[in-house]
Amino acid sequence: MFLVLGRTIKESGINFWRNGWLSIASVSVLTLSLYVVGAMMVMMMVSGTVLTNVEKRINVSVYFKPDVSENTIMAAKADLESYSEVKSAQYISKEQALADFKKNNAGEPVILQSLDEIGGNPLLASLVVRANDSSQYQNITEYIAKASFKDDVSRVNYVKNKEIIDRLNNIIKQSRKVGVSLALVFAAVAVLIIFNTIRITLYIHKPEIEVMRLVGASNMFIRLPFLFEGVIYGIVSSLVATLFLLISMKLADSYVSVAVLSKSLLSFYFSQALFILGIQLLAGIFLGVFSSWIAMRKYLKI
Amino acid sequence: MKKVNEKEIELATEEGLGSMEREIFPILKFDHVTKAFKGDAAALADLDFEIQAGEFVTLVGHSGAGKSTLLKLIYAEETATEGEVYFNGEPLSQIKKRKLPYHRRKIGMVFQDFKLLPKKTVFENVAYALEACGVHTDEIMEDVPQILDIVGLGDKLQKFPHQLSGGEQQKVVLARALIHKPLMIVADEPTGNLDPQSSAEIIDLLLKVNNLGTTIVLASHDRDIVDRAARRVIVLEKGKIICDDAKSKYRIC
Repeated sequence: MFLVLGRTIKESGINFWRNGWLSIASVSVLTLSLYVVGAMMVMMMVSGTVLTNVEKRINVSVYFKPDVSENTIMAAKADLESYSEVKSAQYISKEQALADFKKNNAGEPVILQSLDEIGGNPLLASLVVRANDSSQYQNITEYIAKASFKDDVSRVNYVKNKEIIDRLNNIIKQSRKVGVSLALVFAAVAVLIIFNTIRITLYIHKPEIEVMRLVGASNMFIRLPFLFEGVIYGIVSSLVATLFLLISMKLADSYVSVAVLSKSLLSFYFSQALFILGIQLLAGIFLGVFSSWIAMRKYLKI
Repeated sequence: MKKVNEKEIELATEEGLGSMEREIFPILKFDHVTKAFKGDAAALADLDFEIQAGEFVTLVGHSGAGKSTLLKLIYAEETATEGEVYFNGEPLSQIKKRKLPYHRRKIGMVFQDFKLLPKKTVFENVAYALEACGVHTDEIMEDVPQILDIVGLGDKLQKFPHQLSGGEQQKVVLARALIHKPLMIVADEPTGNLDPQSSAEIIDLLLKVNNLGTTIVLASHDRDIVDRAARRVIVLEKGKIICDDAKSKYRIC
């Protein structure tokens, strides 16, 4: 078995090498499609991370009227926490809010001065509500609007964030669509070109195939070198695609803000490199083998 | 080879221990075989004959008489439209596509146009037949020079086909056909491209191989060749057997 495998791999390696330009054409188109696949995966992962990072900062703040007692607010907190979509509801008292405000504006003497002039504490007590899922904020605000404590609520701030999230979600969805269709188009072109390459290889090897049949070579022994040629296309292409991916990420690194991603693009890629390379290898080998298989079904008479 | 041994043993026990000579049983049997190609008249019509193990049969006929088609039926390149071809007792129409290579390994094939691989040396061309069947390298290194020695090319292992004469190339083909130790050699006009001297050598080699026990089916339209072999002659004309003569000179009956 290993003997046959060894001879087969040797044979397909020679084919790959001797076909020169044909191999380059096949590999470059397959590389392109795998590059798009890889780039899309990186983009999806990055956008996913960005989205969760943004989502972590999203909350609904429910501000209560100044005369509402702390007990009423605690009851509202319990009420909200019992709602299944709510992850947490954090109570921020007037004093806490003032302290936070002062801290945030420590470098702004004008603001602090005006605060002093007003006298007392103008800030409202609030509940900071976080949802399990960002799409649930809409429901939560609706819930608050109908809740038993609705008359005690001064205002709810959510609308601003909603727009940002929606837009982000939309962009991600759109670019995912574009990426998928690009990858599919390139994959189709790659299949056609590999198909053609294997067809020509079959034609070149016609006398050899005939002799193999005559001396009683098993069908698999005749087929395997051509299948392996497809495998080689897949492997070489995914390695080249990874190289290009690394280069382009190195170039794009400076444009992507470290703040949203919390680390650089390259280091983000390296944390996922094996997974992405694995997917690329699988896709590449599948496309290569698939193309040579249909070429053989059509042109190799055994 | 195993099948033959079993059969030989069977026959030997049936007839007692006295018969140590080569047993006779039909290695090839055409049972009312008709082969028709689409739209044409039958290429072969109702062929019914047997070839015994160890025989040397010459197939004679004009081009287009159906010689090549008959040979193709033997190595299952074509299948019979009607009737059945039995090889070594096995009906060929029952062989699955996957098992076809194993059938072909029992038959050595020789062609007019050699079908050697030009980029491989003499040694490699013969070794290739074994490699393709997954034989171990040690065995290849041992068997190939031996068989090339038998056909008289022991000193030309590293030559390429184009460095050899036609006769020598055909000897390489014969070596390749013999390397599997086949039950039968099927030769389709093996001397068609050769001068009389080389042709005679090839036929002598085939006779030698036959003497060692391998069945030979030889198709030819060359009178000298058939005369030289001087064995059983089957004459085909327009897809029919018009003459089957046990020991004859070339003649159209």
